[in-house]
Amino acid sequence: MARKILCVAEKPAIARAVATHLSGGAFQTHAIRGNQYVKNYEFEFNFGGAWGNCSVTMTSVVGHLTGLDFDRQYKGWMSCPPGSLFEAPVQETVDKDKLPIAENIRNQAKYSKALFIWTDCDREGEHIGSEVRTQAKAGNARIEVKRAKFSNTESAHVRRAALEPVNLDEYQASAVAARIELDLRIGAAFTRLQTLQLQTVVTALKEKVISYGSCQFPTLGFVVDRYLRVQNFKPETFWGIKVILSREGKKVNFLWKRVHLFDRAVVTMMLERCLVAKQAKVTKVNQKPTSKWRPLPLTTVDLQMMGSRFLRLDSQTIMKVAEALYTKGFISYPRTETDQFDKAIDLKKLIEKQYPDSSWGQYARELIDGKFKTPRSGRHNDKAHPPIHPVSWVSSNQLNANEKKVYEFVARRFLACCSDDAKGQSTEIEIQYGDESFHTNGLIVLERNYLDVYVYDKWESSQQLPNFERGELFEPTEANIFEGKTTAPNYLTEPELIGLMDANGIGTDATMAEHIAKIKEREYVAINQRGSGRSSVQEFIPTRLGVALVEGYDNVVEGLPNSVSLSKPFLRKEMELRMVEICSGTKTRQEVVQQSLDMYREVFIHTQRRINMLKTACRKYLTEETT
Amino acid sequence: MTSPDQIAAQILSTKSLSVAQPWLNAFLSSSNTAQRNIPPSALAKTAIFRLLASDIQESLSKHRSCVLPVDIHDPTVQERRLQGSIPVQVLDIEDIGTSLWSQIEAIERVERGEAIHGREIVRTIAVGEDPEASENNRANNNPANGAASASGNSGYGPHRLILQDVAGTMAVGVEMQRIDGIALEKLAIGAKLLLRNPSVARGMVLLSPGSVTLLGGKIEALDKPWRDGRKARLLEKTAGVERE
Repeated sequence: MARKILCVAEKPAIARAVATHLSGGAFQTHAIRGNQYVKNYEFEFNFGGAWGNCSVTMTSVVGHLTGLDFDRQYKGWMSCPPGSLFEAPVQETVDKDKLPIAENIRNQAKYSKALFIWTDCDREGEHIGSEVRTQAKAGNARIEVKRAKFSNTESAHVRRAALEPVNLDEYQASAVAARIELDLRIGAAFTRLQTLQLQTVVTALKEKVISYGSCQFPTLGFVVDRYLRVQNFKPETFWGIKVILSREGKKVNFLWKRVHLFDRAVVTMMLERCLVAKQAKVTKVNQKPTSKWRPLPLTTVDLQMMGSRFLRLDSQTIMKVAEALYTKGFISYPRTETDQFDKAIDLKKLIEKQYPDSSWGQYARELIDGKFKTPRSGRHNDKAHPPIHPVSWVSSNQLNANEKKVYEFVARRFLACCSDDAKGQSTEIEIQYGDESFHTNGLIVLERNYLDVYVYDKWESSQQLPNFERGELFEPTEANIFEGKTTAPNYLTEPELIGLMDANGIGTDATMAEHIAKIKEREYVAINQRGSGRSSVQEFIPTRLGVALVEGYDNVVEGLPNSVSLSKPFLRKEMELRMVEICSGTKTRQEVVQQSLDMYREVFIHTQRRINMLKTACRKYLTEETT
Repeated sequence: MTSPDQIAAQILSTKSLSVAQPWLNAFLSSSNTAQRNIPPSALAKTAIFRLLASDIQESLSKHRSCVLPVDIHDPTVQERRLQGSIPVQVLDIEDIGTSLWSQIEAIERVERGEAIHGREIVRTIAVGEDPEASENNRANNNPANGAASASGNSGYGPHRLILQDVAGTMAVGVEMQRIDGIALEKLAIGAKLLLRNPSVARGMVLLSPGSVTLLGGKIEALDKPWRDGRKARLLEKTAGVERE
């Protein structure tokens, strides 16, 4: 019999898409026993080189195959002191509902010469690949293991990935294994400790599981931190000077270089010195070409931030929709940190695919007809995936409402990247009046370029300025003091929260949306609608429980010089940095697990010792509510 | 032995300060017993150092040409120019370009051992590592904003100072143009300035690089309580704003 190759993807839809592309549509579908979603697709494919023509079974898993858990005697909540979970033995076992899938892989491996892993090309995918390998080797110890490297499910790309397999990245798989173990131990230890201790404190928490997660808590911490800043805020009065000149029928407002000051007597004295001087002198007239830069190629974090701002979808929805668009082969892999396009990628070909679109097809045509510019390059490259871009065109009536929004955003953003910057002419006038400086700016937009397709950016011409000459003297029409008040910051919005998580190393681009969803689900935060209609914004406000937990943990470490609160991002950030070290091969999985456990164990001991701090905080915020 | 006149002359020529005889004599008698063979120039340097740490009401001569007019704060005088060089010491400094509340928030970040770089929150306290190494790291990574954010001040100013002359007369000074060295974290309470022919408008001394020479120094007994009590004073002021 001809050589047989077993291919395993991360999801059934990817398996089907890859099978379709490799077989040219001619494949047989077989159901597997015990799982209605996973199918085996059989066809022939010429892998070239040493492999040549082979028969192929393409199948899939459904995410992770295995889970990590404590041994049976540690599973009951009362079975052991929560602190012992830092060391308790753990076991990796195939999830019960995944057993038929694992069996299918073992069976198929028996008749296969090689295993090609087609899981998504990211850390998580690498680990799932290693789980698949374990099963395949259990079925056939001598099976050869390869990995297909791909970042979208467009036909030519998939075929090339099949011809140029690489090896599984062991380091990345180890990093995920380390993270899974740490999440289990730290999460379970703190969740049991705080749940058991706090349930008894107030009736509102009876029967409630108060879960802890090393990403969840810093995420909650950001929300609470902003909430308290808003609550504690005290408005203050400030004063400033504004100068107005009427000339050529136009009213020009000059802005004070000092903006405003918080001392009325000083501002009054400064204004008087302006008035005494009578004439203002033009010290600078600067006319220069200016431009508004086209956006950078799209990353996951940017997609989530922009998406929740412009598309009115929360980050988790955006990621689900993007995932669906990827699985259907319309856009590239939506989990990427890369904001630079590889030189090898044929951008023009991708642009041409957008020709049929009734909204931006014409714009795509104009790009190819001469307006095309090589995209700007950002500073990030995860070496795994290109920036998010459309890989094929899809008519909007084939998409649901949310898919339509996200696809349109991805397509417009991509075309904007390949366009020229918007060009304009800016004018800057500076005057010296008494001891004070003032300035005014004018802008004329000359060429809109990328703005024509990227409807999310705004850049408008200002009122045209009258003529000024350097050195000329004039008497301002008006010079007055104005008064204002400082205003509190707003509650945290989702794009801001994602920005904070990204900057502080909480979660990865792939998991941020999950952490945000988790703290909503746990009722640590609630959503508040600010404003109405198109300008409305969703804000995060912590619940009483959310505030109590953060205050409690902050108090636990209060006064301890070397400890940081679990509500702060520092511990998790360190852990995340260690994951990167595993990926680069400078640290082993065991080292990282030990170091990180030591770090959290210390906080755990403090928490146990000062558990009254947590209890007091819960009483303070939650007793009031129930009475 | 070094004559008091020699030292006084040297202080006058290098710092434009005319030292009070009694203070100088006390200084010389206290140092003579311990250090007999010190060259005059080194002794003058020590004297200047002590002088900058002293209260100028005791250490400088109260000659008529080097004091502020007693009605200096008179707000009805639109503008006048004072003649000569007038030594003063700083009793208070405020950043009037930054709201009290954001100054309080900045102090609280420092209390928590945090600093903010853009959106990133950074720990300024080293945990379980060589404090010196992390200090170096910070200095290397953030030479520009490290110092300012670590001490909790955005420090844009302008600043409003309370100044006191040798006779004890107090005046408000306003930093009209940016002066290097006038910043919350750089200027100590008790630091000495030399005002050179300054203008005074509506009772406020106008400070600019041309009218101010920074001599430095600090009065430890004033500086420490001032810094320790700064947050409480800011809080008290914001409460006052609310009542208005």
